[in-house]
Amino acid sequence: MGLVDKGRMPKPLTHLFNLGRSYSLWVYQWGLACCAIEMGAAFGSPRYDVMRLGVIPLPASPRQADLVVVSGTVTDKMAPAIKRLYEQMPEPKYVISMGSCANCGGPYWDSYSVTKGVDQIIPVDVYVPGCPPRPEALLEGVVLLQQRIKNEDMGARWRGEGTKNLVKHPIVVGGGPVE
Amino acid sequence: MVQLSDAVATASTPEPLALPGDGLRERVVQQLRDVLGEGLVDSLVKPGDDVWVRVRPEAWRAAGFALRDVVGCQHFSFLSAIDWMPSPFGRGEDDPTAPPPERSTEVRHGYTGGDARFQVFARVTNLVEHFGVTIKADVPAGENGDLVVDSWLSVYAGANWHEREAHEMFGIRFAGHPDLRNMYLPTEFEGHPLRKDFPLLARMVKPWPGIVDVEPLPGGDDPNDGTTSGTTSGTTGDTEEGGE
Amino acid sequence: MTDLVDRQKLSYIAAQAADARLNVELETEGMTLNIGPQHPATHGTLRIIVRLDGEQVVWADPSAGYMHRGYEKLTEVRTFPQVTSLINRIDWLGSFANEVPFILAAEKLMGVEAPPRAQWIRTILFELSRIANVSLFLGDLGVQLGAITPVFMAFRDREYVLNLIESATGGRFHPNFDRIGGLKDDLPKGWILETRQVMKKLRNFCDEIENLLFGNAIFQIRTRGIGIIPKEVALQYGLSGANLRASGVDWDLRRDQKIPLAYDKIDFKVWTHPDGDSFARCWIRLQETREATLIVDKLLDGLPAGPVMAKVPRIIKVPEGEAYVSTENPLGEMGYYVVSQGDLGPFRVKIRTASFNNISIVPWVLRGVFVPDVITILASLYFILGDIDK
Repeated sequence: MGLVDKGRMPKPLTHLFNLGRSYSLWVYQWGLACCAIEMGAAFGSPRYDVMRLGVIPLPASPRQADLVVVSGTVTDKMAPAIKRLYEQMPEPKYVISMGSCANCGGPYWDSYSVTKGVDQIIPVDVYVPGCPPRPEALLEGVVLLQQRIKNEDMGARWRGEGTKNLVKHPIVVGGGPVE
Repeated sequence: MVQLSDAVATASTPEPLALPGDGLRERVVQQLRDVLGEGLVDSLVKPGDDVWVRVRPEAWRAAGFALRDVVGCQHFSFLSAIDWMPSPFGRGEDDPTAPPPERSTEVRHGYTGGDARFQVFARVTNLVEHFGVTIKADVPAGENGDLVVDSWLSVYAGANWHEREAHEMFGIRFAGHPDLRNMYLPTEFEGHPLRKDFPLLARMVKPWPGIVDVEPLPGGDDPNDGTTSGTTSGTTGDTEEGGE
Repeated sequence: MTDLVDRQKLSYIAAQAADARLNVELETEGMTLNIGPQHPATHGTLRIIVRLDGEQVVWADPSAGYMHRGYEKLTEVRTFPQVTSLINRIDWLGSFANEVPFILAAEKLMGVEAPPRAQWIRTILFELSRIANVSLFLGDLGVQLGAITPVFMAFRDREYVLNLIESATGGRFHPNFDRIGGLKDDLPKGWILETRQVMKKLRNFCDEIENLLFGNAIFQIRTRGIGIIPKEVALQYGLSGANLRASGVDWDLRRDQKIPLAYDKIDFKVWTHPDGDSFARCWIRLQETREATLIVDKLLDGLPAGPVMAKVPRIIKVPEGEAYVSTENPLGEMGYYVVSQGDLGPFRVKIRTASFNNISIVPWVLRGVFVPDVITILASLYFILGDIDK
């Protein structure tokens, strides 16, 4: 592990590790509102079947998860709980923000009780727009995230530095190529 | 039944409330008047449709018991409140850089009138005879501005959460309610959101995009309607007549 | 009925006394258990704090508000056509059904009535959203009791209904299809035939669930005689929908009120159950799903021809007045008390949601039950968080 921490990994090994990580993502489902049902359809229904992408949607707790999908309206009352559960996840961790509400507040942009975007609380890797997005869109978000993981410098992510670039280079489903 | 023929004769008058109605809802008003006497201030019956009554604030709980036991409305539908003052912020579409426009804050009450800015209202249903009653009462402000009205908790147990909600949203205190904690918002939240003078800050800080969003309607305007193309986004295009 | 509150108080005092006695005898303290706000056993983010004495619940307090979005305030700053796109998201499983009472209230104030064809299509879509909603409940019911299979079946067959809604309205989840005065569009070609086939599939689904779940001995033991709500209590708390009918109250707003929908043109059954326990509530919902598929079939048989939009002005201004319109939504009575002052938008909208009343009974019904039953009772009461919190 010393190699990974110091960022002195041989290239083939990095590639191998990243490949392994990208195809064994354990997803913690943070279902909040309407999008939770579409997330359920993507993760739990026979039609969309997320496991074929190498994603396992049923970890027992956030402490075992690599990825959290925040789907739905984040309220100011809910925000501390989201922050706390995110902090319980081990590094490296990834976040998909699903739906307009989690992205920016959505139809509740002027509400007094809704947080205008989950990225105000935790760093977000992939934004999936839509109200709610179709299950296919969420699956595309997962695929885009896997592409990013494959090209990642593991050392930086392990040290928690990977999230710094997220604001500059967000991935948006349907929004162009991945950096 | 003699009155019914009168109704045909007077049907052309512009005041539909003069109709003798369906009997059922008039009976409700009569029963409440028998029980409450002076406590019943005003009533409005729309025959075959709905009935509204307004009672004095002191008679609020007694009216609840009368509705439940005398009128037979055993099903509790909801209880809430209303702030009749027009919003000083309009619909929140002002330009934040310009000085705020003058708006009238004259209170204009709805059905059955009123004397105070705040009213509580509730709706109960009679499941046997299939009608609902909407009952209102003014909530006059006390000396130091607090709004107090009797709780309906002993009348309908389901009023518990509704009164907590109304307390949180309007700041009305329900005397006799043991537990007026916040229902929805965190305890440190300040203000009462459903009061009309509670501003929506997100609308205050940036100009409402609808002001500049004037899209031409598909197919042009219909001059017969006498309406112009919408200046507010959302009303445009949504309500075209059609169907053929 | 007047002694209801007294009885409640007495049972509470008795529970407290028992608690105290036990504590003295065994030198134990009660335990406070927090379920939620994000917990696999709750649908959405309802948080429940229960105080336990051993395995028994002494006191339970649901804490809502984690999904409070401030609908009633937001409707005051939107125009009437804009409101419908917002209120779709209150009960997100049966979204079309949320639009109908609001549109009907606005139409009532304006004195407009939708053409017959629009009313019939509204009713069909209303029942389809009921099927989409309750079928997921039937699947989820298994998960709450430890059976994973039903939820896959529910998601599988729900897709067919969502496809129907999408092909008719363009929106898979939130159609926003209702307009003041009618509907946005007519039905697409071939839709009626397809709907009939899907309704057959859904009836099969109901049979499957009935065989798999309702005939299961474990399911029956876990739900029969658990969480009994007597008729009087149900009325006092304002329960509605299947929860009320499971307590033996024969009340269905589709049948029992005058409303400009096509329900009075067809014949359908309203199911009631005398028991008032968890099993009764689940069973009523199963029967209602099956009945809804039959209602859709009957409505398709008699669908009249004609326009789907009445003449309304392009800019909607609703005259001054007040109106309360409620309909029998998948979760129960959903109503909108609309106050208009002749403006582009409503002056005040009180949204009466079904789950709010249905869940307000939870402190009463959970008192004295065992911990595992908390989950089944909550599941059988069937709430959607958006519907509680608005």
